[in-house]
Amino acid sequence: MVHPLRDKAAVSGVGDTAYTRGTPTNALTLQFEASLAAIADAGIDPRDIDGVIPYFPGGAIAEDFIANLGLRDLALSAFIPMGGATTVAAIQMAAMAVATGVCKHVLISVGRTGYSGARVSTRLQQFPVFAQAAEFEAPIGMFAPAQLYAQGARRHMELYGTTPRHFAEVAVTTRQHAILNGNVVMNKPLTVEEHQASRMIADPFRLFDCSLESDGGAAVIVSASDRARDLKKPLVTIMGAAEGHPDSPASIAQRSDILEFGLVKSAPRAFAMAGVGPKDIDVAQIYDCFTFTVIRQLEILGFCKTGEGGPFVMDGRIGLGGELPINTHGGLLSQGHVVGLNHVIELTRQLRGEAGRAQVKDAEVGLVTGYGDMGDGSIAILRRAA
Amino acid sequence: MSAVTTAAPPPAPERPLPAPTRESQPFWDGMREGRFMLQHCAQCSKVRHYPRPVCPHCFSMECTWKEAPLGGAIHAWTVCHHPFNFFFKASAPYIVALVDMDAGVRVNAQLKGVAEADLAIGRRVKLGFEPVDKEVTLPFFVAG
Repeated sequence: MVHPLRDKAAVSGVGDTAYTRGTPTNALTLQFEASLAAIADAGIDPRDIDGVIPYFPGGAIAEDFIANLGLRDLALSAFIPMGGATTVAAIQMAAMAVATGVCKHVLISVGRTGYSGARVSTRLQQFPVFAQAAEFEAPIGMFAPAQLYAQGARRHMELYGTTPRHFAEVAVTTRQHAILNGNVVMNKPLTVEEHQASRMIADPFRLFDCSLESDGGAAVIVSASDRARDLKKPLVTIMGAAEGHPDSPASIAQRSDILEFGLVKSAPRAFAMAGVGPKDIDVAQIYDCFTFTVIRQLEILGFCKTGEGGPFVMDGRIGLGGELPINTHGGLLSQGHVVGLNHVIELTRQLRGEAGRAQVKDAEVGLVTGYGDMGDGSIAILRRAA
Repeated sequence: MSAVTTAAPPPAPERPLPAPTRESQPFWDGMREGRFMLQHCAQCSKVRHYPRPVCPHCFSMECTWKEAPLGGAIHAWTVCHHPFNFFFKASAPYIVALVDMDAGVRVNAQLKGVAEADLAIGRRVKLGFEPVDKEVTLPFFVAG
């Protein structure tokens, strides 16, 4: 049976700002600059937006959209508290809203001053899901994601022989893609040697294993496919989308398998909804808060077996021209950190054939993941309509 | 008249401390007394950590607290070099070990007196108690 949501919704507009470290403006302004760009890309009137799912906390809330865009009848306002898994989880929610007719056009958006504003350890104190870590782990010197996720990376290395060289391959390949994109924070080549010599942050994560603290805005419009077909850009439909929450969702420490991400649950649902499997994926944008996080997600997604993610990323497989090009825009590691909404934008551009020098030839089906908080995992599978 | 600088030196960064909840207070009371106390379901007796109001196995909201043994085995670790909180700058790099306690839960705490080269999954460690002030005592590990 075909899932009732398959291909019923589409990504109809995408927009982003310059990705920088340092901005004269604020998160709210960046969010609206990106939102207006996405609205223009879709070719709709701002007042046609009747659903908003802004990233929270930080940036605009529903009231800001009504006030700034003159929205006449906002039918859906939601926050999705899943950290870095939020923006892709929002694709599922938006698809449900437009496929059922609750909304016509849902705007998903992020505005972020991760460089110029509060840094990660400060921001996370606003997150309810970090309350247990704040009580039990922050006092012993463990609170930042680099620290909390490092133990899983170390365990993977000990169990399966994954190495820093594997991590470096993700960082270096992602950087090569960033340079092709141009609108990126990190625009100089990175070598394996530079990666391995970069300072240690939380072993086994070195500086170049970590995503950027940057400034920027990103936005995506989701519309019903029937409506999107008549809009400005080529139709890119949402074949499947899902969010997943791991066991012991607020504490990695207490999770029976600390390498279980929410993606373990969401990926099978999304593939089933889409009616495709890993072999059908032409290009993938994998949430890359850390290099290792990419390696582990590739395993969970079924591109390789558990334990084989390290060798899988080697030998050009994840680069342009490889078997599975990933993060063709430079990702969070090299383009900028807008909580992964730039991954959704890049996948859409790839499937439209708008990816410029980083274009994956004949890309028809692609996937994007989100990863956040203590391992929540979201996924969307998109395709260029025939 | 030249200005005289009288600015005080910046205050030392404060250690982040736990804010016990209704559910977790017995754990922290135990730490202060040098006892590793864990929450058990009063109905099905299963242990749970971190403390919370409902047993996820039988949904009982009644619980009891029992003292647990201090031994465990390393499950994973990290060595923290970058001090995301300035309080930890002086002690970096420090090892944080995630330990499978013999009582059936995990504890994350700093591991002291063990060289990085000697870390291994399964290595035995023992929980100790470090008083921070008159209210708060934090756990740490030593070789067990």
